[in-house]
Amino acid sequence: MKRDNLEQLSLLVVEDSPADVFLVREALKEEGLSCHLKIADDGEKAINILDDVDAGGQDAPNLLLVDLNVPRQNGEHVLERLRRSPRCGKTPVVMMSTSDTAAERKRAFELGATEYFCKPSTLAEFMQLGKLVRVLLEQRHGTAA
Amino acid sequence: MTQAYDKENELIATEQYKIGDLLSRLWEAEETIRAIYSGEADAVVVNSPSGPRVYTLEGADHPYRVMVEQMHESTVTLDPKRLILYSNPQFAALIGAASESVAGSDFERFLAPADASLFAGLIEAAVAGGHSSGELHLRGANAATIPVRLSVTPLDVAGMQNLCVIASDLREQRRNETILKEERLSRLILEQAAEAIVVIDQQGVIVRRSESANLLARKPVLMEPFDGAFHLTASGIRLDTDRILTAMRVGEEITGVEAQMAHSGGATSALLVSASPLSSQGNELLGCVITLTDITERKRAEEALASQAEELARSNSDLQQFAYSASHDLREPLRQLAVFTELLQSRYQDKLAAEAGLLIEHAVSSAHRMEGLLKDLLAYTQAADAPQGPAAYTDANEVCRKTVATFEAKIAQSGARIDCDPLPVLAIHEVHLTQLFQNLIGNALKYCGLEPPHVHISAERSDGLWKLTVADNGIGIDPAYKNQVFGIFQRLHGGGKYSGSGIGLAICQKIVQRYGGRIWVESELGRGSRFMFTLPEKKNEAR
Repeated sequence: MKRDNLEQLSLLVVEDSPADVFLVREALKEEGLSCHLKIADDGEKAINILDDVDAGGQDAPNLLLVDLNVPRQNGEHVLERLRRSPRCGKTPVVMMSTSDTAAERKRAFELGATEYFCKPSTLAEFMQLGKLVRVLLEQRHGTAA
Repeated sequence: MTQAYDKENELIATEQYKIGDLLSRLWEAEETIRAIYSGEADAVVVNSPSGPRVYTLEGADHPYRVMVEQMHESTVTLDPKRLILYSNPQFAALIGAASESVAGSDFERFLAPADASLFAGLIEAAVAGGHSSGELHLRGANAATIPVRLSVTPLDVAGMQNLCVIASDLREQRRNETILKEERLSRLILEQAAEAIVVIDQQGVIVRRSESANLLARKPVLMEPFDGAFHLTASGIRLDTDRILTAMRVGEEITGVEAQMAHSGGATSALLVSASPLSSQGNELLGCVITLTDITERKRAEEALASQAEELARSNSDLQQFAYSASHDLREPLRQLAVFTELLQSRYQDKLAAEAGLLIEHAVSSAHRMEGLLKDLLAYTQAADAPQGPAAYTDANEVCRKTVATFEAKIAQSGARIDCDPLPVLAIHEVHLTQLFQNLIGNALKYCGLEPPHVHISAERSDGLWKLTVADNGIGIDPAYKNQVFGIFQRLHGGGKYSGSGIGLAICQKIVQRYGGRIWVESELGRGSRFMFTLPEKKNEAR
């Protein structure tokens, strides 16, 4: 396992499936990323967090993992809200979805997604999510081995 | 004895004298009759107790001759051989012939050929019964047929069976009958017309009406004001006689105008209203003919049909949505099942019995297979969805070439040969044509026998359709299954010999049907397959 200074960073995971939250944790662990995870299990909670960030109530997340298909406000709404945020509008976002249609992908990028992760059905592929998160964090926050 | 003999001789001489006298008087009488008959005698002198008296034949005949010449009817006398002895000028005029050419002609010459036997019957009846009459046709100038009533009377003249024939011209009567019939027909048409038809005068009063007009108005409307009988509005504006007659005056057309008719009691009828002007010869508007077609039922049926179509579209869309959700939403837990099973294996490999690894493998592979099926089902539900952008024409050569390129590795590996004839530009989205070629060429390469695959793609045009054929030399299909292969998840081969879920041809069928085409297969086991599909030559709206 790798260890580095990315561990003090915080991630906002917008995901309603506890199983997928578990797998996200596994993927990050596999990559040696022990970032702080904030979980929102519906879109409204995620938007409330972003509102609170903008109001100075809490620190801005360093990266968002947003499932497209979450209850109340869907992932697209969360992404739209994020991009309007004065404090964290430029934060990298990985949109996640079980389906992988060209239309969904296109729409996600139009709304400002940094990456699109189609949730795979093999363990090895799912673990790739950790690598993806590392690359994005390093691009923004630099490497420190 | 001698005395008696002399007396007898004297008696004989007297009788002989008497006979001679009688013979001479008989000859004289016969001669007179012959003279009268031949026209040599104009008068006869008869001795009477008061002296001789002259009887002029002219005096007896003249009035009748004048009557015959001047009467309205046409008449002829015929000899026993039906030759015309005499014709009055009216007969000659009737048949349009010169008077002098008529006498001496065979009467049949002036008879319509079809009526010859009818005429023979009339003569027979006249001879037997003293008189007969019947209607038949004469043949006039320019082969015109003239309907006539013929009266035939035998004339016994000096032992000759002559005939007197009087012909009454029926043309005028027939004309009147025709006019009468036409008038009756017009009236009948008006009365029986399914549409409500009314004729109004300049004051808007109904002066003629069809029976249906009464039914529509639910009361007799003759001589009623139109506006009272039919309360019409078109596009919310009252359509009354003022408006209709004004339109007629300025030459504005009223044809098939949709209108609402309000009945007393609140009910309404939907009508199509048309009006045509009735003008005098001096072009003065006398009124107009108004046709009111009741389309209430038709409208109701149209609305019912439209709502059914809407219902069907909704239920189709519901079904589509259901299939999408089922295939999409079911994939998520399935994917998690597969991943967690793998996770279980990787995490506890050391602690599990050897068999457990095999069981986990089966579980993972089942989950993956099911996920594949759901993916295919999703692809099927979305197969014929319209891609963004307008429907386009696609060059099939280009799509075929690109598709073949995607099979490059497989082709190299199997030594396959792919021949592609020149293909047309087709009225289909590129993405759909790609799917068709991908599935059909893919199948042709996949289901091959021992020989290297040989695929031939060709096209032909007939009756406004393009027919494309993808033929192969593969294992073929039992004709019993030639329809089944197009069903969803229908597979003919088990045991993992040929991979695939059996969705490809179902997708092809859905796409082809969307464009109004057809797809089918001709094949025999072991003799290759020919998959054919048609597409309309011209673009039509996707179904």
